[in-house]
Amino acid sequence: MNNNTTDADEPLGDPRAMLALLEGQQREVLNAQQAPVIWMYFIWGITWFVGFLALWSGDVDGNPWFTLPAAVATPVFIVMLVASIVASAVLGIRINRGVRGISTFSGAVYGLSWSVCGTAFAMVGVGLIRQGLSPELANLYFPSAYALMCGTIYLGGAALWRDVSQLVLGLVLLAAGAIAPFFGSPGNDLVLAVLVGGAFLIAAAALMVRRRQGR
Amino acid sequence: MTMDELDPVIHASARLKITATLATLPVGDQIAFPRLQELLGMTAGNLSTHLRKLEDAGYVDVVKSHQGRTPATYLALSRSGRRAFEDYLEALRALLGESA
Repeated sequence: MNNNTTDADEPLGDPRAMLALLEGQQREVLNAQQAPVIWMYFIWGITWFVGFLALWSGDVDGNPWFTLPAAVATPVFIVMLVASIVASAVLGIRINRGVRGISTFSGAVYGLSWSVCGTAFAMVGVGLIRQGLSPELANLYFPSAYALMCGTIYLGGAALWRDVSQLVLGLVLLAAGAIAPFFGSPGNDLVLAVLVGGAFLIAAAALMVRRRQGR
Repeated sequence: MTMDELDPVIHASARLKITATLATLPVGDQIAFPRLQELLGMTAGNLSTHLRKLEDAGYVDVVKSHQGRTPATYLALSRSGRRAFEDYLEALRALLGESA
């Protein structure tokens, strides 16, 4: 990190230099916390974009330029999804590592909400299928259900940490999840790939640019 | 406001960086010594020396605990430490405002 530490105990004379040192150090701390978040947005951006484009391209009514075999499209999506979940868990733990206290509870509840909500939304889907939901409608339910779930949890994260990037992403996820079924299947996959994948990648790029400018 | 009136406990580069880092933690949170050391890029010995001075002034609360068998030290700004940091920041800005 910042290795140009002055170890001397003597006070520095220039107040401007002291203020710059103070603000520089606080920016370093913020950057250290933000680095895993940028990676997370980037990874999820790729997963939503490439994963849902793969699903869209795996349907004969989807991609007009080429069609991926279903044996390729679905595994690509699942592998990317699982890899992103694992990466998020690892990165999420790193964000606040070494810190304990009042925020531990908030962080634990936030982390838990992903697995609990994920399971709940999956069970609703399975229940609906058991009650006769067709594969076509299931293709509309699952992507939207997860976009709405992610959007809602992001809004929670935005409120917890007063984070504008999570607020914007949450709203995009909710809007995309809400309108996607109107495009039918597999059009909904394209809508989610472009809107959600694009939003995550733009958020990652925006945070990266802001971080570089702040230095 | 003159330079001499700035809090001498905080007005030294290493301790200013330590208090600035601890001030980013929300009230009620504590940070582990190794993580603080990593964020500051200081040696363990140097960090300990300055932390002791801040602790002696009542600006830093030091909590020693155990994680399994390994001893762990957690640190946070005390109430007066946070207030002193905010006062210091305000004084620095006032000083710059006067000199500008």
